[in-house]
Amino acid sequence: MQEQAIPAEDAAAESETAAVAVTPKKRRINRAVLSENLWGWFFISFLVLGTTVFIYISFILSVWLSFVDYRGNTTFWEALGRGNPNGAFYWYKYMFSETITNQVGLEVTGGWGYFGSSLLNTVFYLIGIPVGMALSMLFAALMSRDIKGAGTFRVIYYIPTVSSIVSITILWQNLFANDGVMSQLFGTNFIGGDEWMQKLTVLLLTTWKGLGGSVLLLCAGMNGVNESHKEAASIDGANAWTIYWRISLPQLWPTIFYCIVTSFIGGMQIFTEPELIFGNVVTDGAAYQGVTAFVGIIYGYFNGQQWYSYASAMGIILMIIILLLTLVQFWLNRKQEA
Amino acid sequence: MTEEMNNDVVYLAEGEASTEKLSFFETVFKGLCKFGSWFGFGSKYYRSNKRRKKIFFDVITYVVLIAVAFIMIYPFWWMLAASFAGNQTSMMEMAWWPTYTAAEEKGSLFGNYADVFSLASNGTGTNFWQATGITLIYSLVPVTVGIITSTMAAFAFAKLNFKGRNVMFFYCLAAVMIPGPSLMIAQYCIYASIGWTQNGLALIIPGCFGAIMTAFFIRQYLYSMPTAILEAAKIDGAGYWRIFWTFVIPLAMPAITAQFILSFIGCWNNYLGPLFFVTNKAWSPLALLVAQFPDIVSNNPSHYAVSMAVSVLALLPVLILFAIFQKWILGSIMLTGSKE
Repeated sequence: MQEQAIPAEDAAAESETAAVAVTPKKRRINRAVLSENLWGWFFISFLVLGTTVFIYISFILSVWLSFVDYRGNTTFWEALGRGNPNGAFYWYKYMFSETITNQVGLEVTGGWGYFGSSLLNTVFYLIGIPVGMALSMLFAALMSRDIKGAGTFRVIYYIPTVSSIVSITILWQNLFANDGVMSQLFGTNFIGGDEWMQKLTVLLLTTWKGLGGSVLLLCAGMNGVNESHKEAASIDGANAWTIYWRISLPQLWPTIFYCIVTSFIGGMQIFTEPELIFGNVVTDGAAYQGVTAFVGIIYGYFNGQQWYSYASAMGIILMIIILLLTLVQFWLNRKQEA
Repeated sequence: MTEEMNNDVVYLAEGEASTEKLSFFETVFKGLCKFGSWFGFGSKYYRSNKRRKKIFFDVITYVVLIAVAFIMIYPFWWMLAASFAGNQTSMMEMAWWPTYTAAEEKGSLFGNYADVFSLASNGTGTNFWQATGITLIYSLVPVTVGIITSTMAAFAFAKLNFKGRNVMFFYCLAAVMIPGPSLMIAQYCIYASIGWTQNGLALIIPGCFGAIMTAFFIRQYLYSMPTAILEAAKIDGAGYWRIFWTFVIPLAMPAITAQFILSFIGCWNNYLGPLFFVTNKAWSPLALLVAQFPDIVSNNPSHYAVSMAVSVLALLPVLILFAIFQKWILGSIMLTGSKE
C-alpha cells in the first residue's frame, strides 16, 4: 500500500499529464476528461490526504516506534533516529517473556504477566458476543412478527447504544456497587466480589449496551427476507420453526456474519468499561489484573510509565490479533457457504 | 373459529374419542391436548386454531419485548432518580425513587445539579460549562467540516470518472482495517511534538479531513441517485463545484443528516480520543470530566448522587438528539446493514 501514499496534488498532476498524453487521439473530449480528472482528484484530495497522514503515515510511525526505545525523555524524532539499545525486537520479546535480559545484562521482569492476563480478560469479554447475538436473533424474530409497536421497541433497545459510554459506566458502577440495587437484588457482590463477578459485571454492561445495534441490523435483515419464499414454505406445510431455520436464517446469514465480525473487532478494543469501573493494572496495581483489558494495558503503559514504544508494540500486536481473528472468521464463513 | 381450520391436522371429534376406554396416561395426554387447544395448538384430539395461536404468540412476544424494554430503560430511570437523591446510603438502596431526596437535604430537588455547576471547578481546572463548550467545539467543528469533505469524496467516488478512482477507493477503504488504539501512541507523539495536545487541535484537525465510513455510506446513497440530473446540469454549463453544492448536497441530505447526527453523537461520547490526546486540563471535554467526577466530588456527602447528576447532564443532549432524529438514524443504520 505504501507506493499509493503519494500526496493528492502530485497524483492530480500525474493524472493531468496522463490526460494530456492522449491529446492527439481524442482532441474533442480532452478538455472534459481533463477537467473531470482534476475535479475528481480535488474532491477526494481531503479524504485521501487525511487517510494518508492520520492513518497510513501514523501506522508506519507506530511500527517504527515499536522498534525504538522512546520514553518521552527526548523529542519523538530524535528517538526514532536512535534505535533501541536493547535490540530492535526488544519490546516484542519483552511482551512475551516472564523475565528478560536488557542491554546491561540485567535480568528484569518481562511484560508477560500483564500482557497475558489482559489478553485472557479480553477474550473473556468476547463471550458477550455470541450471547448477545443469540438474544438479538430472538428479539429480532419477535419484532418481525406482525405486531404493533415494533418500531418503538427498536428505538428503546437502541437507547443504550447511543448513550455516552462514560455516563453508562459511571451508572453501572453505582448500580452494581456492593450496596447497590443489583447487588441487593441478586444477594451477591458484583463489583466487590471476586474476579469472576467483576468480569461478569463488565460482561453484563457490554451485552446490554451492544444489544440494540445487532437487533436493529437483524431487524433490517429480517425485513429483507423474501416473503414469497416464506409463503411457499407455509403452503407446503412448514411450521413457523422450520420457516425460521430453513428460510429466514440462511437469508439472514450475511447480516449475522457482518454483526459478528464487527462485534469481534469492537470487542477486542474494549477499554472504557473495565477501566472506569475498576481501574488499571499498570497504574493502579496488580489487584486489577483480573479485569483490565488489552487496550487498558496499552493505556496504562502509555499514561503511567510513558513507555511509548512498548505501548505502540502492543498496539501492533492488537492489530495483528484483530486481523487474524477477522481472517479466521471469513475462512470459517467460506466453509459454511461451501 | 372454524373458518381458520388447519386442514392438515388430524382431527377427531370429541364424542368419538370419549367412547374409547382411555388409560391414565392417555387421559393426562388428552388433558394436555385440551390445554394446548385453548392456545390454538392442534393435536390428535383437537384441531389447531390459527387465530388463537397468533394471539398466544403475540402475548408471549409482548411479554418478552416489554420485559427486555424494561431492562433497557430501568438503568436510565435509576440514574435519573439517583440524581435527585440525598445522602449516599438511602440512594444506593433505592430501587424506584429515593426515600431521602435532595429536596430534603439541600432544599431543592435539583440540589445535586446545582452542585455539579458549582463544584466542578476544583481539581480538573475546568468547570461544567467550560467542558460543555469544549465538547461542542470538539463535536461540531470536525463533524461539520468532515461531513463536507466526506461528501465531496463520496460524490467523486460515486459519480465522477477519473483515473485511479477505484485504486484510491480501496486505498481509503483498506485504512478502516487498522484499529484506532494501534495508531494512537504514534499519533500522540506526533501531536505532542507539534503542540496539538495542549490546545485541543488533536481532536479537531484530523476529523476535518473526513471519515472513511461516512464517505462510504454517502457514496452508497449517491449510487442510487439518478445520474441524469447531473448530466443535465453539466450540459447546461454547471461546473463540478456548482453541481456539488446545488444538486448533490440537497439530494443527499437524508444521508448527510443521518451521518452528521451519528458522527456528532460519536464525537460527543468519545472518551478514548480525549483521554489520549488532551494533556491540557483546560481543554478536557465533558467525557473526561464525567469520568473524573466521582474523584472530584468525593468529599461531598452525596457524591454518588452528584456524579449521577453529571452523568444525566452529559447524556441528555445525545438522548434529545436521538429522540428527534431516531427515524433517520435507525433508518440509516438499517440501510448500512442491508447494504452489506
